[in-house]
Amino acid sequence: MDMNEKPKVGEKIEDQKPQEVPEVEAPKLPDTKEGKLVAEVLEKAPYAEGNVRRERRVEFKVPADRIKEFLELASEKFEMLIQISVVDWLKEGEFELVYQLWSVSESVHAFVRTRIPRENAKMPTVMDIWPVAETYEREAHEFFGIVFEGNPRLGPFILEPREYEKHPFRKDFNTLGYVKTIYGEDFDRYDESKTNYVI
Amino acid sequence: MSERKNDDFISYELQEFKLFEPLFRWARKKSLWIVAFCTGCGGIEMPPLATARYDFERFGIMPNPAPRMGDLFLITGYVTPKTLKRIIITYEMMQDPKYVLIHGSCPINGGVYWDSYNVVKQFDKYLPVDVAIAGCMPRPEAVMDGIMEIMRKIEDGTADGWKRYRENYEYYRKNQDELFGEGWREKDARRWLAWI
Repeated sequence: MDMNEKPKVGEKIEDQKPQEVPEVEAPKLPDTKEGKLVAEVLEKAPYAEGNVRRERRVEFKVPADRIKEFLELASEKFEMLIQISVVDWLKEGEFELVYQLWSVSESVHAFVRTRIPRENAKMPTVMDIWPVAETYEREAHEFFGIVFEGNPRLGPFILEPREYEKHPFRKDFNTLGYVKTIYGEDFDRYDESKTNYVI
Repeated sequence: MSERKNDDFISYELQEFKLFEPLFRWARKKSLWIVAFCTGCGGIEMPPLATARYDFERFGIMPNPAPRMGDLFLITGYVTPKTLKRIIITYEMMQDPKYVLIHGSCPINGGVYWDSYNVVKQFDKYLPVDVAIAGCMPRPEAVMDGIMEIMRKIEDGTADGWKRYRENYEYYRKNQDELFGEGWREKDARRWLAWI
């Protein structure tokens, strides 16, 4: 039967064969150093998901309530914290935190992803595992408003005080409106009728 | 200008110096000292400007680490409110006469950061500007052309940003206070006192 053909008037739709849904298989880990590394971590942490993206790049997904436990475990293999980056998923109402780890001994870069709700976002600090996390957590706190419990230096860091209150990297931060109130509207770029549009 | 009295706050143009004024202007034009405070991304145009190819020392221009001795202030690229505080303080430390050259479109109207929350859109609301180079980024040739323009203006006596800053100080001060809030100088000084 042609797939594009519409069912005829008398024909019952139920008569057609339901499309077979293939069972989702767990992604097979390749037989490389990355695959072995992920398998080793996942063996100890069955609550996490992990896969290999490409050479020297692996990825983990962890539920937010067990992130600290997982990172403590992962820090045996991944000795270095490179960055904590935040993604704002506005429609889903979630922040995604990406802990980027580097394994010095194996030369593998790992992304550890976790999601937390946007409202009153809270995370335990990982300063006791990697002291360098202090800076990244302060930055994430300032730009997104996530509270890292246990970090003693959360507070105004890079931004001016009035921006610190607004968290300018959130997706719902109205940049143009903010600029108009702070810097004034008396020049060409803001001419919304485009009569004097510059760029 | 000629009607100014000797007890005016701009005591520089005293009547008895009028005779030597062309000589002073010529000397000032031939020995510009740049304040070495690269405030934005245009700072990377300074090394090629200073090194062998475009060598600005042959015009008598030198970068100078002390603002007290400099007279040409290059605002190289975007200016954030945090930098602007330092720029204003540095500018006020410099002696008269002092000249300001701004690079690129960012200090003129925001440039590509026109809707960014932390880039100052109109630099000339906060400090007087003598020459502005449009475009991003100006090549060393353009910067040199701007400096030549400043030299021409010094010789004409039209590079008078430092006078305008004194005469319209209330206007500039009002804009600065609007952006940073009242008492920002004292607050900033208190914050950095521990480091001095």
